[in-house]
Amino acid sequence: MKGLPPFNAVAWTVAAFVIAAAPHLLAMPVWLAGAILAVCGWRLLAAHRGWRPPPALLRLSLTGVGLLLIIVAFGGFWGRRTATALLCVMLAAKMMEMFTMRDLRLVASVCFFLIATQFLFNERLIYLVYLVIGSLVATIALTRIQDMHARTGQRTRKAEWDGVRSAAILLLMAAPVALTLFALFPRLAQPLWGLPDQIMDGRTGLSDEMSPGSISNLFLDDSPAFRVEFDGPPPPPDQRYWRGPVLWNFDGTTWSRPFFSDMPSRQFVPEGLHSLVYRVQLEPHERRWLFVLDFPVRGPEQALISVDHQMLNRQPVTTLMQYEAVSNPDFVDMPELSSNLRALATRLPDNRNPRTTALAAELRERHADDRELIQAVLRWFREEAFYYSLRPSPLGRHGVDEFLFDLRSGFCEHYASAFAVLMRAAGIPTRVVTGYQGGFWQANGNYLLVRQSDAHAWNEVWLEGSGWTRVDPTAAVSPARIEQGARSVIDGPRHLLDLDWIQNLRNRYDRIQHLWNRWVLGFDHARQQRMLERLGLSGMSTERVAVLMMLVLLLVSGVLSWFLLRPKRARPRSEAERAWLALLKKMRRHGLVKQPQETPLEFAERVAGRGVEGAEEFAELARMYCRIHYGDRPDETSRFSAGVRQFSPA
Amino acid sequence: MRRWLDRWIARRGPTRPPMTLRYRQIFILPTRFGWLLGLLMFAMLMGSLNFNNNLGLLTTFIVAGLASNSMLLAFRNLQQLKILRTGAAPVFAGQTAQLMISLDNPALRERPGLELKLDDSLRIFSLGPQERAEIAIPVATHHRGWLQPGRIRVQTSQPIGLFEAWSWFWTERPILVWPRPAERPPPLPDQASDQTGEHHRQRSDGDEFFSLRGWREGDPLHRVAWKASQRHDSLLVRDLRQPQARELHLDLARTPGRDLETRIAVLTAWVLQAHRLERPWTLNLGGVKIGPDRGEPHLHACLRALAEL
Repeated sequence: MKGLPPFNAVAWTVAAFVIAAAPHLLAMPVWLAGAILAVCGWRLLAAHRGWRPPPALLRLSLTGVGLLLIIVAFGGFWGRRTATALLCVMLAAKMMEMFTMRDLRLVASVCFFLIATQFLFNERLIYLVYLVIGSLVATIALTRIQDMHARTGQRTRKAEWDGVRSAAILLLMAAPVALTLFALFPRLAQPLWGLPDQIMDGRTGLSDEMSPGSISNLFLDDSPAFRVEFDGPPPPPDQRYWRGPVLWNFDGTTWSRPFFSDMPSRQFVPEGLHSLVYRVQLEPHERRWLFVLDFPVRGPEQALISVDHQMLNRQPVTTLMQYEAVSNPDFVDMPELSSNLRALATRLPDNRNPRTTALAAELRERHADDRELIQAVLRWFREEAFYYSLRPSPLGRHGVDEFLFDLRSGFCEHYASAFAVLMRAAGIPTRVVTGYQGGFWQANGNYLLVRQSDAHAWNEVWLEGSGWTRVDPTAAVSPARIEQGARSVIDGPRHLLDLDWIQNLRNRYDRIQHLWNRWVLGFDHARQQRMLERLGLSGMSTERVAVLMMLVLLLVSGVLSWFLLRPKRARPRSEAERAWLALLKKMRRHGLVKQPQETPLEFAERVAGRGVEGAEEFAELARMYCRIHYGDRPDETSRFSAGVRQFSPA
Repeated sequence: MRRWLDRWIARRGPTRPPMTLRYRQIFILPTRFGWLLGLLMFAMLMGSLNFNNNLGLLTTFIVAGLASNSMLLAFRNLQQLKILRTGAAPVFAGQTAQLMISLDNPALRERPGLELKLDDSLRIFSLGPQERAEIAIPVATHHRGWLQPGRIRVQTSQPIGLFEAWSWFWTERPILVWPRPAERPPPLPDQASDQTGEHHRQRSDGDEFFSLRGWREGDPLHRVAWKASQRHDSLLVRDLRQPQARELHLDLARTPGRDLETRIAVLTAWVLQAHRLERPWTLNLGGVKIGPDRGEPHLHACLRALAEL
């Protein structure tokens, strides 16, 4: 081994790794992240003190410990988090033997890969900063490593800054090629291979089940769920029910989806008078469902509409997805209910919630008509002391009884669940629908922002003549929830930073995020085709797009080559010098070329000797230039430049 | 294969200095690290395309942009570089010759991380704007004669080591390698018996002829001829130079030795000895006869004749 690598090369490489790994480190258990950072710290110290690499056996056993930690941390579950954590651990292990140029380079270049993997988890606008800073530091590390090879870098602060600057320029010059490729690289309409479900490790968002607390957990999460743009005015707040999983099965605490929920609907939903056309920008939630208004007429090509009018994508949504959908709110869902479905929609677990069952029987006696019964229950919710609260108490075996008669305070999932149980006990077919309700109308951006905190649950009851009909018990308890959004139902801030001005800033930032999503993240096959269409190139096949990309790439590279390879010229230092060069250019146009060895005055003499018109003025200007440039009359500069501008030799 | 490559390179432009590197003479290929990064890029591309992950794609394309620029920059680092001349002082066989290569950077840009490579020797250096430099590359020598070093490679892998640009050139002329002098040569052949060209008797070694000349600063005191100075009223010193020192006849045919190489080695040693003793000598190599003469140029002429024999 020839000497140890210099400190700056190691330090930049370690920095590149720590920055690229930062989001991954934040997502893994603290002790695992700590272990990785400890290795980084050791490497820096070793570079500073000039330590040699540890013996191979120690390195090997520490790597083994790292792998064990991974297994402990992720319990053998193989997902993307596990894979990236493994990559981080392997790179940290590599760092222990990172003492040659080759190893340093390897670590620095894999940093780019590490950065790219982070975008499998999050592609928000803020991560553009991460991308830029991460790439910059990795590029700096690569140039430092190259310098270490060439041994040209003096280890001064100025040399270090020059290195940072040249790496920044290098990165900046990569932009034209990168953007060309980004715009024209043919996108796939279909993924190359399916995405295995195991790689989805789940993240916050609506789940396919509903148990007490599952939705109120989302209430604190202000991150966007999706954004919607409407053709025409947006529907009023009480119509903004974004349909997600439809739940039929109830085991006493948890509502879940029925076996047929993935089957395609056989009902044809026609367009109606009040049809709504809108485009949704869905944040990745790793589930298959797409949120739509009631009742979807059509959506994106690859999606199907299920029996319950839920829209299901073919693949889990792992990256920002844009789709257009049409909904007809006037559609009557299932005018006839089969007996099988009726049985399923009125089924309740045995021996549970006796008080609720009694109440249902009592209500049934008083109101023979289903509609009247429903109204009575809603009236009861409204008039009795029911509260909408974020901090519901845990419920026991007879959860619905406790809720309806003792606690009377809960979140939307409690009301939806209790209402469904009550209805089913009274013999009315009922199901629970989860999804989002409301959203914040961004008037400036002309789109509706729906946050995770807008997650909601409501019911659909089957009524003779109107089919499945939406009933929202929460609206009876807290009309503000529906009219003004989820945030309005709680007095005071939900948490420390829940202040109005911060909320305003967030809304403003979301508008930029919206544009980012639309133009960068949502740039897919369809959008690429649309972009090309706008350029007058419609109906391009993938091959043609590839050829176009090559052509544009050639053009861009040509311009870049010209820019990079053109000879560097000495820049005139002063205004007078610039004016003098301009003057010489004017003379050149008339065949009078100043020889390099000639002084300005000698040239003026030669010009005079040629008997050119304007020679006098030229001589005067030359003298003036000499006075400014060599003498003590810099004050004449402006007069000189003015003279040059007016001068025209005949 | 090698000859074919050499011819192909020669067809593309000048191959010996003075020369200016232009695009036809500059070659470029990815380094091993470059291939590795290419593989990494491919993995990133496939993953991002499959997940339709646009930021992942953007990262991949940024790396692609970096790579394509680093290709241009590696090329730029060599383009218009001037190799002015090459040269090496002659050495005795077995010594290491220093091949001096003069380079000129006519541009206003710095050229960092340039490398000159000849066989296993590698020199790394940088050229500032409009800077000239002379780089020495050691060349091992084994046999007397003219040594033609192989192709010299001027190369660079700036700015981040993804691509290596290089150009080949040959030295202007080969390096002269003198014969290795014999380590223990027989004594100089002072007694020449049948030389017809001999004009005067050799004096014995004890006799020392000297002339007198005026004192110059630096002459040691013991050389001052005190008595003569007294006579001439000025300081005179004994001059030890011997204008009529005995001439040596060094003849290849009469040099002892088993074979030609041994005899050449002995002759080389004798020539050097004669030069050290400041005696005039004639070198007779059969067809070539040099001298009688003495001094540096004569020595070089003789050594060169011995090298070329």
